Amino acid sequence: MDNQELLYHYFSNSLTSEQEILFQNLLETDAKFKAQFEFEKDLKEAVKSHETDNLKAKLQEVESGINSKQKKSIFNYSNLAIAASIAVLIGWFGYSTFFSTNYTSLYEDNYNEYPNTVFTITRSEDQNSLEREAFVAYEAKNYQTALNTFEVLSEESPKDYIRFYKAQSYLGLEDNEKAKTLFKQITKEHQNFVAESTWYLALIAIKEKDKTQARTYLENLVVNYDYNKDKAQELLEALN
Amino acid sequence: MQRVQENITIEDLKQGSDLLFKKIYEENRDKFINFARKYNLPQEDIIDVYQDAYIIFYNNVMQGKIEKFTSSISTYLFSIGKYLIYDKLKKNNKTINPDFDLSLIKKKEELVDSDLDLNEEELTTEQILLKKYFVSLGKKCQELLSLFYYRGYTIKEIIEASEYKSENVVKSAKSRCLKTLKERINNSNG
Repeated sequence: MDNQELLYHYFSNSLTSEQEILFQNLLETDAKFKAQFEFEKDLKEAVKSHETDNLKAKLQEVESGINSKQKKSIFNYSNLAIAASIAVLIGWFGYSTFFSTNYTSLYEDNYNEYPNTVFTITRSEDQNSLEREAFVAYEAKNYQTALNTFEVLSEESPKDYIRFYKAQSYLGLEDNEKAKTLFKQITKEHQNFVAESTWYLALIAIKEKDKTQARTYLENLVVNYDYNKDKAQELLEALN
Repeated sequence: MQRVQENITIEDLKQGSDLLFKKIYEENRDKFINFARKYNLPQEDIIDVYQDAYIIFYNNVMQGKIEKFTSSISTYLFSIGKYLIYDKLKKNNKTINPDFDLSLIKKKEELVDSDLDLNEEELTTEQILLKKYFVSLGKKCQELLSLFYYRGYTIKEIIEASEYKSENVVKSAKSRCLKTLKERINNSNG
């Protein structure tokens, strides 16, 4: 096998262990080989950096696409505002019908299940398999399974985030009452996930068309926390 | 909404489809922004970190550093993102908002996969020069060298993925490309 062949295999990660030894030997004894290797290694970094620039440019394009879409939807809001004033003119019936549909879309636009940020599934395969099981189910949106497992876990070890993800699972199952009870408990008794729970309480209130309650939660969020501050502000404006 | 990413395999991604590249980006974007909000970074910074995390993930797939998904794509993105945010905060020496617990941020050892290449090295002078002249090469050379050095293709795989007909053709095309590159750099110096 010639030296060039060794380099081919090096860069496609396909050196056998014998070739590997040969390769290392050459690096130490053959200056020309070493220079060629360094050149190609540098080239590899250069190509990667070039590809990275391309990818970044592509993503920026995607991003500006997303932004212009959002601008369009803000624009639609002002259309909605005009429609709303017309609705007011038409009468209270029109007005209430208009807003009753709006609550649902406000909820749906803003509801996202909270991602699993506490438990890294890959690295912990051998530890506490029950917790792993729960989060695997949660990430796969099998909320009922997740819930059952969280239930067992919270009896075993009352970690505070378990309660939060239990509430999330209820929300995923659209059992708002149970979710609400748990979120409320968290805001009263816990230190973590308080802002997050407040946010979800606000969303539930919106879904239940309880404007006053929703405003209270959102104002609390805007004043006291940073989590979803901008979104909360937007929602407050939309609820005005 | 129908979610695609649960069924995406490494092989799908490695095809290099622009559409899939975009789709995965869009699908995880809001989730990532939501998650990163608690670090009290401005929105533009969050987007920037998200893009960098996504590119790091993508590069690792393309370069064969991730051979098999051991967790969901979003887990990879969050894990890399956390690491980048930590780095950013350290660099900015920024105080984090009071309702955030610094111990939540993970270090590299706790990355979803500690073998990931995080793109941390700055380019050397030689590499900058190579990058500059790489772009001056013809399209065919760029593609070939990219398959070889970025994607880590073997000569056989290059034949399958391109119009080259035999190993010898690939090899001589590649060495011609390298020769041109070297010449252009030398001429610029001399």
